[in-house]
Amino acid sequence: MRRLVTMSLLLAACSTLALLRMADAQSKPVEIPITVENQKFTPAEVKVKAGQPFALVVTNKDAKAAEVESKELRFEKVVPPGKTVSIRVRALKPGTYVFVDDFNKSNQGKIVAE
Amino acid sequence: MGATFVVVLREGFEAALLLGIVYAYLAQIGHPESRRYVTLGGALAVAASIVMGVAVSLLSGPLADVGPDVIALVVIFGAVALLTWHGWWMGWHARELRGALQRRVDAAHASHQLWMVGLIAFTGVFREGAETVLFLWGLMTQIEDLTGWAALAGAAGGLLGAVGLGWLVFQGGRRLSVLRFFGVTSFLIMFLAAGLFSAGVGRLQGLGFLPGGDPLWDTSWLLDDHGNAGGFLAGLIGYRARPSVLEVVAYVVYLAGAGMLFFPSVFRPGTRRNGDVTEPAQTSRV
Repeated sequence: MRRLVTMSLLLAACSTLALLRMADAQSKPVEIPITVENQKFTPAEVKVKAGQPFALVVTNKDAKAAEVESKELRFEKVVPPGKTVSIRVRALKPGTYVFVDDFNKSNQGKIVAE
Repeated sequence: MGATFVVVLREGFEAALLLGIVYAYLAQIGHPESRRYVTLGGALAVAASIVMGVAVSLLSGPLADVGPDVIALVVIFGAVALLTWHGWWMGWHARELRGALQRRVDAAHASHQLWMVGLIAFTGVFREGAETVLFLWGLMTQIEDLTGWAALAGAAGGLLGAVGLGWLVFQGGRRLSVLRFFGVTSFLIMFLAAGLFSAGVGRLQGLGFLPGGDPLWDTSWLLDDHGNAGGFLAGLIGYRARPSVLEVVAYVVYLAGAGMLFFPSVFRPGTRRNGDVTEPAQTSRV
């Protein structure tokens, strides 16, 4: 069992390294700035190029944490008050994709890929 | 108030379910004293969640951007590995545990590293822990008026609700017969772990580390995974309204593999372990 634990730890370490290197290797994606202010995403709708990965750079100007989440795009990230967090998003097919603030579901935003 | 109640209940639900199961499990195998591993695992996870919440609030730059993703992935796949190992152990040893209490204790002691159960508790609590800490922290800084207090009261109620659910799982689980308990929890853990595994694969796709990601089908018209019911189902069995091909494959492959590991007697009747060949052939499934 100890060997199993050691092996899984090693595996975890290796995969972490691999992930970080892959993250490095990929060219810096286009950054799309969004702010959370007064419990609203601004802008509430952003346009991106289809077929190209990008990053949502979310700045939270409120005093409460926001959790930017899209089940469809598989991201889920907390943005603490006063902080800016970058969220990587894969290349999208043309279409509209919704994201929400999971801590305040009435706050929704849209990504339009075209 | 209602909104904060639901947020905290949802974040705490999965942790409570896992804690209820492992506490009941230890009671079932006659090892109540090993609860300290679970309690320790849970407590460490709360501490780690606070540390991570503070770190995310203080740090910025690439570490704060990539760090949470890497940690989330390690926790997800770590939890899958632990749950798989646990389900496998239950599947193979269910038969031994039908004996007298002392025999159960010996059997469990001989082959199961109970501190590993503490790790399950850790991953269960830590998975949504940092988010919950940040959410609650945000609420506490907002207490200026009555709505602030109401929001905090809602959150506290959500936390109590989650603890209550865990308690119900524990009490219910304890009262089942050992074999039924193993059967039910193996089944639950199988779907829970399949959902986690598939979610991990989806996260890798979302980050662009695995190809694909476009939905295979869309059932959001039927049950939206951003809604409350869909959200609970997402946490419990990994429901996705728009799953990708790889996620579906991961889910199905995991279920098939885990099914064979967790319910060995169903797939290989006559399989015997530990030399109890004298017992008449009997399925160890519930």
